[in-house]
Amino acid sequence: MVALSTEKLGIAYGEVDIVKGLDLNIPEGKITTIIGPNGCGKSTILKTMARILKPKTGVVYLDGKAIHTESTKEIAKKMAILPQTPEAPSGLTVFELVSYGRFPHQRGFGRLTKEDYQIVQWALKETGMIDFHDRPIEALSGGQRQRVWIAMALAQQTDLLLLDEPTTYLDLAHQLEVLKLLERLNQEQKCTIVMVIHDLNHAARFAHHMVALNSGTIIKEGSPTEVMTQEVLKKVFQIDAEIIEDPRTGKPVCMTYDLIETKETLQTAKAM
Amino acid sequence: MEWIQNKLRKSFFIMSIIALFIIISLFMSLNMGVIRIAPMDVLKTIAGYGTEKQELVLFDFRLPRLIIALLIGAGLGVAGAILQGVAQNELADPGILGINAGAGFAVVLFIFFFQGSTASLGMLSIFVMPFFAFIGAFVAAFFIYILAWKKGVTPTRLILVGIGINAAFAAALIIFQLKMNPNDFMQAAIWLSGSIWGTNWKFVLATLPWVILLIPLTLYKARYLNVLNLGDSLATGLGADVERERRILLLIAVGLSGSCVAVGGGIAFLGLVAPHIARMLVGPKHQFLIPASALVGAFILIIADMIGRNLLAPSEIPVGIVVSVLGAPYFIYLLMRTN
Repeated sequence: MVALSTEKLGIAYGEVDIVKGLDLNIPEGKITTIIGPNGCGKSTILKTMARILKPKTGVVYLDGKAIHTESTKEIAKKMAILPQTPEAPSGLTVFELVSYGRFPHQRGFGRLTKEDYQIVQWALKETGMIDFHDRPIEALSGGQRQRVWIAMALAQQTDLLLLDEPTTYLDLAHQLEVLKLLERLNQEQKCTIVMVIHDLNHAARFAHHMVALNSGTIIKEGSPTEVMTQEVLKKVFQIDAEIIEDPRTGKPVCMTYDLIETKETLQTAKAM
Repeated sequence: MEWIQNKLRKSFFIMSIIALFIIISLFMSLNMGVIRIAPMDVLKTIAGYGTEKQELVLFDFRLPRLIIALLIGAGLGVAGAILQGVAQNELADPGILGINAGAGFAVVLFIFFFQGSTASLGMLSIFVMPFFAFIGAFVAAFFIYILAWKKGVTPTRLILVGIGINAAFAAALIIFQLKMNPNDFMQAAIWLSGSIWGTNWKFVLATLPWVILLIPLTLYKARYLNVLNLGDSLATGLGADVERERRILLLIAVGLSGSCVAVGGGIAFLGLVAPHIARMLVGPKHQFLIPASALVGAFILIIADMIGRNLLAPSEIPVGIVVSVLGAPYFIYLLMRTN
């Protein structure tokens, strides 16, 4: 198990502060979803936890060690990240891309060992992509592509997986397929999953732990029932939401919602 | 695991075919020229049974030149493959790093300041000029990297700054070139258009170590190129020190193309086209792409050299012009296809 946490994390783009003094603990072996409005800094936090961005102040701890001083290769053996809408060079086959996941474990000229082959094969089977191994990535559908990227992250063999909006541009069925795959990986491989996700109902359905953000600060964190409340969603999204219990999953669901009409919104509405 | 072996086998097969083409074209090139030597006589001479004149033509003129073409072609092909990987842009070539412009400017400066006054310097200049070109290439690349730096170097900024620096060097080059006497102007023009003018064994020795050292080093770095090609975020996530690896790879590319340009002049398009063709043949995985780019580059340059030497014989067309004439339509085709 690998623990991930942040301490007094501050992140800025140039002069603009995005996040200030963030203390976040990711529960081990669980699925954590991060929700929040556009521009609230959720992707930025994920990227900083994955050492893609450097924090202005504060520290990210992985396994008790400060992440920005650790060897990036060693970190890659413990934590994998999937950015939003990643792109593969055209002509690359599914097998080749997934084998790139072995990068942090390789040395020298990067010849794949027998073990590498087995792990890549396993990752392809887990994601149901084994039959597509020699297809070029661009010949796949959006959902299949996302599964290939997840397979690549699996081949990295990490205990921790960070995903930035893994369901963007996918249709309803494929969104669910990807999320169910991640849920299964969490249960079977015991890997900790952290994902930024837009769809509130998906976030609540698949999370053990939810973090609601606004303007770079945590408004509320806890179990889905604690976070998916009328009160929290009002603070986070400025919406008036109707929350019920999903009869199938028992998780909280946002039935319908309205914009809360503050003075400002009324004025802009009139102006239109 | 058999299913993976297929791709490996296919790539090796394709590369062997290109290697075979290279050997055939080398052989053809050896027997073509102002003095024709029949294929049988070429074999005889190689085996040590040729006449003195045949030995002279083959061993002292044609063979070193062909080996240089082979080395330059391979070097520029690999340099292009590196740059396209690092820049994540399939339209990048050694030109964007200012290699050609920088080297060209250095050569023009050299001819302008030193040679015009002392025509007797001829012999010396043959060996000093490549050195100047090499330094010029490094200086230009250094400038581009420094100017593109802003808490790290992003591929896009590298390309944009590269275009700017290239234009500046090209303009400065014209200013000096216009002030030259006609003789020097001709020499500079021939150099700039890319001509394999170093045609003896000493130039082979000057180029060989670079190519022999740097191509295997690039192969060693192939897996870094693979992940850099996925973009900075993924490369970092996979554990590559992106900034450092990019710098090392750029340095390798400058070393390779700088040493090639020093002997072969400003050969345009080869670094762009060779990796492209290679990618179509073996795909973008660099463990295959790099050797394939080297082979394709070498093959194109040998063919271009053969055409350049024989089309208007006894006068020669600079090989760079032949490559451009062959490469430009392909480049336009590429642009049309990407749209």
